[in-house]
Amino acid sequence: LAAPPSPPGQDPQGWRAPVDCVRANELCAAEPSCSSRYRTLRQCLAGRDRNTMLANKECQAALEVLQESPLYDCRCKRGMKKELQCLQIYWSIHLGLTEGEEFYEASPYEPVTSRLSDIFRLASIFSGMDPATNSKSNHCLDAAKACNLNDNCKRLRSGYISTCSKEISATEHCSRRKCHKALRQFFDRVPSEYTYRLLFCSCKDQACAERRRQTIVPSCSYEDKHKPNCLELRNVCRADHLCRSRLADFHANCQASFQSLTSCPADNYQACLGSYAGLIGFDMTPNYVDASTTSITISPWCSCKGSGNLEEECEKFLRDFTENPCLRNAIQAFGNGTDVNLTP
Amino acid sequence: RASFGLYFPRKEYSENVYIDQPAGTPLLRIHALRDSHGEAAHFHLCQNLVISRARSHENHWFQIREKTGLLYLSRSIDREDFNMLSVGNWMTLSKVMLYVFLSSHPFQEKECDSATRTTVVLSLINATAPACSSLTARQLCFTEMDLSFHIKENKPPGTFHQLQLPSVHHLCQNLSISYKLLAAEGMPFRYNENTTGVSVTQRLDREERERYELIAKCTVREGFREMQVEVPFLVNVLDEDDSPPFLPNGTDTADAVVEFNRKEGTVLATLTVCDADTTPIYPLESSRKKYTGTIITDDPWINETFRVEHIFDEIHFSPNGSQVRGTQHEYKLVLNKSISVTEHRSFQLDVLVNDTEFHGPERSVMLHFNVSILPVSIQFPNTTYQFTVNRNAERFAQIGKICIENCMKFRGVNITYKLLSPNISCYPVSILQGREDKYGSLYVNDSSVLRRPECKEIQYTIQATDKQSRKHTKTLLTIVLEGSLLKKEEDCPDSCAVSKRYAECEECGGLGVLTGRCQWRQGNGKGITTNYSTCTPSIKTCPDGTCDVVESKDPAVCPQDCTSGNIIGGHGKGTGNLGIKSGHGICYCFPKQNCYCEKDDIKEQLCDDVCKTVI
Repeated sequence: LAAPPSPPGQDPQGWRAPVDCVRANELCAAEPSCSSRYRTLRQCLAGRDRNTMLANKECQAALEVLQESPLYDCRCKRGMKKELQCLQIYWSIHLGLTEGEEFYEASPYEPVTSRLSDIFRLASIFSGMDPATNSKSNHCLDAAKACNLNDNCKRLRSGYISTCSKEISATEHCSRRKCHKALRQFFDRVPSEYTYRLLFCSCKDQACAERRRQTIVPSCSYEDKHKPNCLELRNVCRADHLCRSRLADFHANCQASFQSLTSCPADNYQACLGSYAGLIGFDMTPNYVDASTTSITISPWCSCKGSGNLEEECEKFLRDFTENPCLRNAIQAFGNGTDVNLTP
Repeated sequence: RASFGLYFPRKEYSENVYIDQPAGTPLLRIHALRDSHGEAAHFHLCQNLVISRARSHENHWFQIREKTGLLYLSRSIDREDFNMLSVGNWMTLSKVMLYVFLSSHPFQEKECDSATRTTVVLSLINATAPACSSLTARQLCFTEMDLSFHIKENKPPGTFHQLQLPSVHHLCQNLSISYKLLAAEGMPFRYNENTTGVSVTQRLDREERERYELIAKCTVREGFREMQVEVPFLVNVLDEDDSPPFLPNGTDTADAVVEFNRKEGTVLATLTVCDADTTPIYPLESSRKKYTGTIITDDPWINETFRVEHIFDEIHFSPNGSQVRGTQHEYKLVLNKSISVTEHRSFQLDVLVNDTEFHGPERSVMLHFNVSILPVSIQFPNTTYQFTVNRNAERFAQIGKICIENCMKFRGVNITYKLLSPNISCYPVSILQGREDKYGSLYVNDSSVLRRPECKEIQYTIQATDKQSRKHTKTLLTIVLEGSLLKKEEDCPDSCAVSKRYAECEECGGLGVLTGRCQWRQGNGKGITTNYSTCTPSIKTCPDGTCDVVESKDPAVCPQDCTSGNIIGGHGKGTGNLGIKSGHGICYCFPKQNCYCEKDDIKEQLCDDVCKTVI
C-alpha cells in the first residue's frame, strides 16, 4: 500500500512548504526594506551575469537581505491562479542567480506528493473499470470512451481535437499556436485520472499504439516541416517563462537516478508523469516517435544533427527523453496499473 | 591559428562528501589538457559555493592544489555546517557546486571570471562516511557520472584522467583496487598502472575519427574475494576549422535561366561546397558569418536583382571505416525582385565563398552562375476563341477559360484580362479573375440576354495586359448561342445543392447550370469520402475542392465548395475551413444556412467530431 497522504503544507521529508511567489511578493511589498531591496536586486540582475552582480556591494547587500525573505524560497503550483505571474516573479530572481546556462535548472514548482496509486483508486471509482484486469481490450480506446463519458473531459478533448485538425489554408494546415493552447487547457483542467489514461495507456497491438501516438494530434502539435537542433529548441523554450519552468520540472522529476529502485527521483512515478504531461502544448512538446508496441521511445521534435562540438551535450539532453529509464518505467507502471509499494 | 589555451577534458566532476570526514581527505582529481607544449596548468577555486536553489555561501571547506588539481577537504563538515549548507534544498540529496578555474600562470588574485572553468558537483550525504565493506564494487571503482571526455584535435598529448578515486583510495586503504583500460589495438590512449592515469599519446584528428569507445575495467580484491566492474569510457574529439572548402565533383558552374518564372524569391540555381569540418546549426547566425557567400560585382542592377542564400547541412563520410561528420553548404542564387517581361540579358555572376576561420591559403572558392534572362511575349495563341453557350444556361454558368500563351507557367507576372464590350445590345457574358489566378474565367452574367432571339452570335475583343510593363495583346472571342428554350419547372430551388435525390436534381435548374439542368454526381465511396453524392450545376467545377472566383460570387452556386456554415453529419472540411472536402453519403446544402451529409437509406445517428475520432 502507498504511504498515507502527507498533511497539507509538508512534503514527506518534513520541509515546510514555502509560500507561493505571488503571495511572497505581496508580503515583500508590504515591508519597505524588503520591497526596496527586491527592486535593487531586480535592477542588479537586469542584463548582468552572476559574477559581475556579486561584485557589486549594493547588489550583494540586497541579496543577503532577500535571502531571509519569503521571496527567496518561493514556489509556484501547476495550474494555480496567476501561474504566469508567479513564474515571472520566480525567474526575476532566479534567472540571474543560477547560472543561466546550466544544463539542469531547479524547478519552480512545488514537489508532487501524490502517488500513482491515488490515481488508480480514483480511476476505478470514476469508470468502474480496472485497467489492470482486462488484458484483451484496447486500453487507449477504453481511455477515449471513459473521457467521452465525462462532460468536462469530452468537451475539452473535442475542443483540442477540432482546433488541432482545423485546416487554415493550403500551406498552413493548422494553427499550431491555438492547438497548443487548447492542449494546455485540456491537460491543466482535466483530472489526471482521464488525461494519463489517454497518454500512457498500455498497448499490445499497433492500432492501439497508433491511437496513443495520435492522442495529442501530433500532425499539428508535434511535427513540423523543419526539425530543429535540440539545443536550439531548448533555447527557444528557455526564452518563455512557462516552457522553461515545465522543462525544469521535467528534469527535476524524471531525471534518471541510480539511487532509487525505479530510477526515478524519490521513486515518485506520479511526479514524473505529471511533469511530462506538463510539457505538452509548449515548444518542447514530447510524443511517442512511432507506434511500436514493444519499445516506447519518447522525443521532442528535434535532433542532434548539426550540433558541431556540442554534440555530446545535445545527445545528453535528448537522451533524457529517448533513453530515460525513469520515464519509461513510469509509463509502463501506469499502463500496468502498478506503483511502487512504499512502506509508510 | 586561433589558440584555445588550456582546457578541461570534461565539463563536470562529481563526488560524495560525508559528515565529519577529516580535514585533508582528498576528494577528486581534476586534469587539464594543453594547447601547446610547455604550458603548465594552474588550478584555482572560486571562493563561493553555489548551493542549489540559487543560494551561495562562502567556501570554508574545500581547497584545490594549484599544480596537481587535487580537490580536498580543508575543514571537516560537521552537523552544523551540513544543516546550513542544505537549507533550501528540497531534495533528500543536498548538492553544492564549485567552479574550478584554469590558467597557464600562477593565480595572482583570487578572480572568478576566467572563461575556462569546470564544475564540481558535491553531494552532501547526511551520514558519516560508510564502511568500505558496505560499498559495492561499482561504488568503489567509479562515480555515478559517465566516464566521458572531450579532447581537442591537433593538440599535444597529455594525461586527462585518473581512474582511481582519491576519496575511496584514502578511505579504503586495505582494499586492493586495480584498473585496466580495454582498448582496441592502435588506439591513441595509454593507461599508466602506477598512477592509474589515462593519457592521449598523439595529436588527434577529428576528420579521421571523432569518437573512441573504450572500456574501463576495475578489479577489487578483498582477501580471496574478487569483484569486477566494467564501464564504458568514451572520448569525443572536438573539431576546429582545419579543412578548406572544396567542390564535390569539381563543379563550380551552373546555369540560371529566367523565363516564365520571374517572381521575387525564385531559386534559379544551386551550387554545392563541401567542408570536412563541422558547422553547428545553432546558433545559426554565427555559423553563417563564418562561412560567407558574396556576389562579386560592380553592377548595382545585379546587386539589387539577385541575392545568394546559404543553407548548410550535416553530412557523413567515412575516411577509414569510422563515420565522421562534415558539412555540405548550398549556395542558391535567388531573385531579389520580380523581373519585368521585357528584360533581356545574359552574363556571368560570380560568388565568392569564404571559410573565414580556416587559416590556410585555400580558404575560398569561386562559384560561377551563367545567368540568362529571356524576355517573354504577351500574346494569345494564334486562333481566336469560340465558345458555344446553351440558351438555357443560368447566371454564373462557367463557359470557359481565357489564357495567354504559357499563362499557367507564369510566376511573378501579373496579367489582367478584360472584355471590350461589343457595340450591340447582346451582352450576356463577363470575365472574372481571382487574386492569384493566371487565367480569366468567362461566365454568364445576364441570362435573360441568352433567351432573346435576336442574340445569336456575339463578338467580343479580349485584352490581356501585363501590369508591370503595361504591354498588352488582343484577340477575338465569339460566343455562339445554341439550343431551344426549355420550359422552366415550377417549384425548383435557386440552388442545385438543395436537391438530395437524383430525380429532383436533374429535373431542376439552378444558378450556374450550363444547359438548364443540374447534374447529379453519384459517389461510390464508402464512409466519409471526397467522392460523395451531390447535386451540382456542373460536375467539372463543383465540387472540385476549391471555391473559385465565380462560385464565390453567390453562395447558391456551389456551397459544396464555398460554405463556411455548419455541416451536419460525417464530413471533413475543406481548405481554409471552406466547403465540404469529404462527406458521408449524400451532401446537400441550403445556401447561407447549414449543409447536411447523410446516408439516404438508413436513418443513422449523426456522427460529429468526437464520434469520428473514436473508431
